[in-house]
Amino acid sequence: MTARGTPSRFLQSVLRNGVGRYVCQLKRIVLIFSQKGPGSLGAREFIENGVVDFARKNPGTVIYVSPQPVQVAKVVAEYLNGTVREETVNKKSPQEIGELLKKLSTQSGLDIIRIRKPFHTDSPSIQGQWHPFVNRPATMGVIRPQGKQVQ
Amino acid sequence: MSSFTKSAQQWATFARSWYLIDARMQPPGKIATMCSVRLQGKHKPIYHATSDCGDHVVVMNTRHIAFSGNKWEQKVYSSHTGYPGGFKQVTAAQLHQKDPKAIVKLAIYGMLPRNLLRRTMMQRLHLFPDDDLPEDILCNLAEELPQPRKIPRKLSEYTQEERDAFPMIWVPPEDFRMK
Repeated sequence: MTARGTPSRFLQSVLRNGVGRYVCQLKRIVLIFSQKGPGSLGAREFIENGVVDFARKNPGTVIYVSPQPVQVAKVVAEYLNGTVREETVNKKSPQEIGELLKKLSTQSGLDIIRIRKPFHTDSPSIQGQWHPFVNRPATMGVIRPQGKQVQ
Repeated sequence: MSSFTKSAQQWATFARSWYLIDARMQPPGKIATMCSVRLQGKHKPIYHATSDCGDHVVVMNTRHIAFSGNKWEQKVYSSHTGYPGGFKQVTAAQLHQKDPKAIVKLAIYGMLPRNLLRRTMMQRLHLFPDDDLPEDILCNLAEELPQPRKIPRKLSEYTQEERDAFPMIWVPPEDFRMK
C-alpha cells in the first residue's frame, strides 16, 4: 500500500533511553525448537555453541530455551514496552540466528512502520522561535495617521 | 515565549501583520520596493515562496507622491485596449490626475514576482489617496514604517534665526543694483 494508507510514526526513543543510562529494551527471548526436526538443526547448533555467549553479553535479557515437538523453529522476543515479535528461524544457520538475535537486542520495542522524519529534537529552537514582534520597534500607543504636515 | 503551547507558537510565528506607509513627498519606486518586500514576506526569517507568509500593507497619501527629475512629464504609461487603434499612452501626470492610486499600484505590481501569487499579494495591498483611512483598517495596523526619503525643508519652514545664521559666500557692496 502507499505511505499514506499505512500507519506511520515519528522518530522517538523509549523514555529518552541513552540520554543518561542505556537500558536494553529486550526483555525476554524464547527459543522454540524441536529436538529431532531437520529445520531446527541451526537452532540446535546455536544453542550448543552460541546462546551462552549471547546471554553473557546481554545481562538484562532473560533467555528461555524451550524444546517442543514443533515443525517450525522460532524465536519470540518480548520488549519492555510489551511488544512481542515472533521470527521464524527454520532452516537458518547458527550464524544467521546469532545475527538475528543481535539485531533483536538492539531494537527498542517501537512499531516497525514508516518513520516520517529521520530526525527529532526536543528543543527545536535555542534562542526562541521568531514571531512578528521580535525586533519590532516599540510603538507609543495605537498606530494612527498623524496630521502633522507643516505647510 | 517558550511557555507557549505548540499551537499558540505556530499561530504567533505565522501571523499576518498590517503595516502602514505614508507616501507623502516620497518617490513611488522606493515605496514600492518596501511594499513588495513585505507583501511577499521576504522580511521574515520563515519566508518561503510557497508558504503564503506575506503581510498586509496600507499606503496612504498616494496623491502626494513625488517623482524626481522630469518624470511627471517624461514617464509614459502604456496600455492597449485590445481593439485595433487602441494603443494608449499617457504621461505620469495625466495618469495621476485620472487616478491618484494608479502609479503606486503599477509600481508595486511590477515589483512582485510574476506568478499566480501576485494577484493574491495585490489583494493584500491597500492604497488610499489621502490620509483618511476606514476604521476597520485603522484597527488592524501593527507598525508604521519609516519613510524612505528624508523630506527637505522649504524656505518658509526655516526660522529667521536659521536664515541669518546661514553663511553668506559674497556680500554685495552698497551701490550694487540687483537686476
